[in-house]
Amino acid sequence: MSANALERPSAANAIVALGVAIFILAPLLIVVPMSFSSAHSFEFPPPSYWLGHYRAYFTADWLRPTLNSFLIAVASSIVTLLVATPAAFAVCRREFGARRALQIILLLPMLVPSIIMAISYYSVFGVVGLNQTYLGVILAHTCISIPVVLTAMSASLRNLDRNLERAAAICGATQAQTFMLVTFPLLRPAFLIAAFFAFIHSFDEATIALFISSREVSTLPRRMFSSINLDADPVIAVASTFMIAIALTVMVVLTFLSRRRQAAEASR
Amino acid sequence: MTTPNAQQVSAVAPVSARARSGAAARARRLPRGIPTWLLLLPALAYLLATFGVPLANTFWTSISDPELSLENYRHIFTDPIYLTVYLRTVLVALSVTVLCLLLGYPLAHYMARKGGLVAASLLAVTGLCFWISFLVRTFAWTVILGNRGPYTEVARWLGFDPPPVLLFTTAASLIAMTHILLPYMVLTLYVVMSKLDVNLIRAAHSLGASRRQTFWSVVAPLSLPGVVSGSLLVFIFCIGFYVTPTLLGSPHDMMIASLISNEVETLLDFGTASALSMVLLAAIMAMLALYDRLVGLERITE
Repeated sequence: MSANALERPSAANAIVALGVAIFILAPLLIVVPMSFSSAHSFEFPPPSYWLGHYRAYFTADWLRPTLNSFLIAVASSIVTLLVATPAAFAVCRREFGARRALQIILLLPMLVPSIIMAISYYSVFGVVGLNQTYLGVILAHTCISIPVVLTAMSASLRNLDRNLERAAAICGATQAQTFMLVTFPLLRPAFLIAAFFAFIHSFDEATIALFISSREVSTLPRRMFSSINLDADPVIAVASTFMIAIALTVMVVLTFLSRRRQAAEASR
Repeated sequence: MTTPNAQQVSAVAPVSARARSGAAARARRLPRGIPTWLLLLPALAYLLATFGVPLANTFWTSISDPELSLENYRHIFTDPIYLTVYLRTVLVALSVTVLCLLLGYPLAHYMARKGGLVAASLLAVTGLCFWISFLVRTFAWTVILGNRGPYTEVARWLGFDPPPVLLFTTAASLIAMTHILLPYMVLTLYVVMSKLDVNLIRAAHSLGASRRQTFWSVVAPLSLPGVVSGSLLVFIFCIGFYVTPTLLGSPHDMMIASLISNEVETLLDFGTASALSMVLLAAIMAMLALYDRLVGLERITE
């Protein structure tokens, strides 16, 4: 029995772990109360509470960037899925010589620092007239989301039971029928997961947007950046609360989806 | 796990053999599927246009602006101001990596050993933090460390008046970057540590090893792959970090990313900015090669 006690982590470990968890959670505990604060600068704890910042958030100054971010994130998720899904099939299901090299190339946009991509886009988009346009931001965000979607799709593809497709083929389904009636429906949660990843990746991206978007096409992270950098506008707390809510939603949905997948695998 | 894999391999092999056996065979058996190159074409063409071309252009700018020479590189490798920035960037990235390891290891270790609901909720907290935009977290730290925030209150209460200034110093960007990159470290370590066989720990204890001995001779060596992988990941992300050091750090203590942006935005010196970008890119590539050597790049996303 004493050996059993030794397997468990020590009390000191528990205390340190709890401390680190509080450190990790600290911003959440600050940001949400601040969104209800009546202070006109960055002040915590709030002197009193009201909803004034929420009212300010729902004006063009903040709503416009939020809407822009939504549009850009949705558009770039769709384009990323279209471009990266076939590649995920190739990487997971085909054998070819340069496979490993290709896998690495397809990961690179995620690993190159965004400041490098930001000035690179700024120069090139300046020549072709894509700076300060929605299309420019969407194109850039799609590029950096490709590795994310590829990874998510590959993980799901590898977990897919290929016997189901074989069964369809044996029963006389053509390739196209197998894909449309078996593979695609099975992959629907995978598409959803990958789309979420791409959405968040674009929605949170700040550096590239800072360089290539303008006031008109300003994204929410860009607006938040200038709020911290220039005007110390406390409405940023509302925008932050909103983004935390999105993160929470994404996490709950992803947990739910992966639970369902695990349950499906367990029942096989 | 091994059986379906073996099946997969044997099922894939004839497909690829057939794919290679010429256009005539493919034409006869058309529905065998889309050729591999066609599957890869959209992604590769897209990346060539929006990744390869812009980077190549930046490289070209670095050797051709203002004239075709290596002058920009000579400039950024001899001017002591730039050398200080590289050194500072590496030092900050190393400090953040060490801090993440010091904070992340105990948490990951605790979650892996404890298991159950406690571990699940700690994992959820880490995961949530991972998903929250780093701008939100940067904002939170400007409030926490600001002169009307909790840090100042606590420091006053402890008798520091006026409290030492943290906001807009390297210390502030260090704290915030550690916070932002910590989830990467914790999750990487946790993946490795949760796979650690408990029987090994049981065996060590039953052979009379103390807690400390078991940790240093069993747990620590077996978690080393996670330590290496997590540290490299944090370091790689940290040396290119732009937004957080710009917002929280001191303008006098720039890191390389802020320097690049500064060259473009205030000095309009694209040649120098491009050369600096290429140096940063080369450093990242070297780190990635090291990662590939030690861990395997295809596992970076696990």
